[in-house]
Amino acid sequence: MNALKRCIAAEWLKLRHSRIWIILAILPVISVLIGGFNFSMNQGVLTKEWYSLWSQVGLFYGEFFFPVLIAIVCAYMWRLEHLNKNWHLIMTAPVSAAHLFLAKWIVSGALLLMVQLFFSLLYVLAGMMAGITSALPAELPGWLARGWISALSISSLQLAISALVRSFAAPIGIGLCASFLGLGMYVFDLGLYFPHSLLTVGMGVLSQTGLPRGELALYLAMNGLYMAAPGAWVIRRRRTSDVVSST
Amino acid sequence: MKLAMRNMRTALGLEWYKLRRKRLFGMVLLLMLAEIAWGCTASGMSFSRHPEHAGWEPLLAMFASMNGLFMPIAAAVCVSRICDMEHKGNTWKLLLTLNAGRGALYAAKYVTASIIMTAAVLLQALAIAAFGAVNGLEQPVPLLLLLRFFAGTVLANMAVTAVQQWISLAVPNQAFALALGMIGGFFGIVADLMPRGVRAMLIWSSYTGFSPVTQTFAGETAQFAVRDMGSLLPAMAGVAAAGAVIYLAGCFHVSRREG
Repeated sequence: MNALKRCIAAEWLKLRHSRIWIILAILPVISVLIGGFNFSMNQGVLTKEWYSLWSQVGLFYGEFFFPVLIAIVCAYMWRLEHLNKNWHLIMTAPVSAAHLFLAKWIVSGALLLMVQLFFSLLYVLAGMMAGITSALPAELPGWLARGWISALSISSLQLAISALVRSFAAPIGIGLCASFLGLGMYVFDLGLYFPHSLLTVGMGVLSQTGLPRGELALYLAMNGLYMAAPGAWVIRRRRTSDVVSST
Repeated sequence: MKLAMRNMRTALGLEWYKLRRKRLFGMVLLLMLAEIAWGCTASGMSFSRHPEHAGWEPLLAMFASMNGLFMPIAAAVCVSRICDMEHKGNTWKLLLTLNAGRGALYAAKYVTASIIMTAAVLLQALAIAAFGAVNGLEQPVPLLLLLRFFAGTVLANMAVTAVQQWISLAVPNQAFALALGMIGGFFGIVADLMPRGVRAMLIWSSYTGFSPVTQTFAGETAQFAVRDMGSLLPAMAGVAAAGAVIYLAGCFHVSRREG
């Protein structure tokens, strides 16, 4: 446990002065600005107040830009390791590969939680500025919580890809393709079987009806699978294969 | 002059040599195939639901709209990959000791990225023609419309590539360049919802702005009309000029930096 705490502390240290908070903040701001503007201009058609506003601000955020943001965060988490000979340095550290991966996953999860909370704050502010006076939707905490859980699944997958692919940009391109694959799976009613479509389902960006109990159980189980499997695979690879540190 | 041309050719050749085993072509191809698959699937579903609206114009409008999302991100990924290797390998200092000016190095990277993105657009245009032909669209393949689609997308790509290259070379941390690509993709999708004045200031709006087909809604029905080429020329000239200014500014800024 001490080793994991040390690894987490090291990850936070590596993020100092990185200015990644700019990237984490700007995306939700733009999503809510555009979605809120669109909602305000079409209030005659979008009559379900908070629910309509959620469909506007959440659609692009949840479908494309949050997954790509997750990919950027995860690629950034491995950036220093891919520089110079840092892989050799980190593999000689007295911590296990599992602790290294888990620490990055935990820290990226914390960053994504902050993004979700910031997004929810902007959503509420946008609704107030648009003149919505009714109570907030009761489903909102569920959307945000399930969105974060799915974000953890996507981040596990993206961390696995970024750990093995030394390019910064390639995992992000893969993340974008995965977003479209997830959207396609959602359209063909397979949304509960892929992490990017799990985000769509969990955040209710295309359909704000909640998840029935049976589907909620499957949702949580699939998220658990996607959280565990990519990480387990990468940890095993790091234990059994040599690292490549040249560029 | 001859020496400058030879240096430029050498720099360009080296850029392509450096891309060996970087899997950049595969990455851009994957992004394009994902976009083509999505565009063809969406168009196919639309045509089967509304066969009376099947045609080349809706197909081109669909792809122009999707280019607004995909192309900025593809350009960001492509340019980031080409530029990042210099930051990561700390090879800038090494490059600057060569008998080639910084401007030539900057130009070589820009031309390389532009060629790759142009090839991607060509693949897309061929896929559109093939999809339409396979799906038995009544009209023959509209070569002029496809050529206009190709030219407009390439021009928009070149302007976006100029922006991305400036950021990718000026800021070693590629997260910012890719975030800009993502934001550009966002603006590319929602540009049509913005007022005309705001749209004119966003180069990412050019993907739909230069589309030869425009889409309007009459009630709930989408209507497609072919734009007059002449009406697009001033905007295209403006974006070309903006792209040139951004390229020159980026080249000047990067060339004047130490190491």
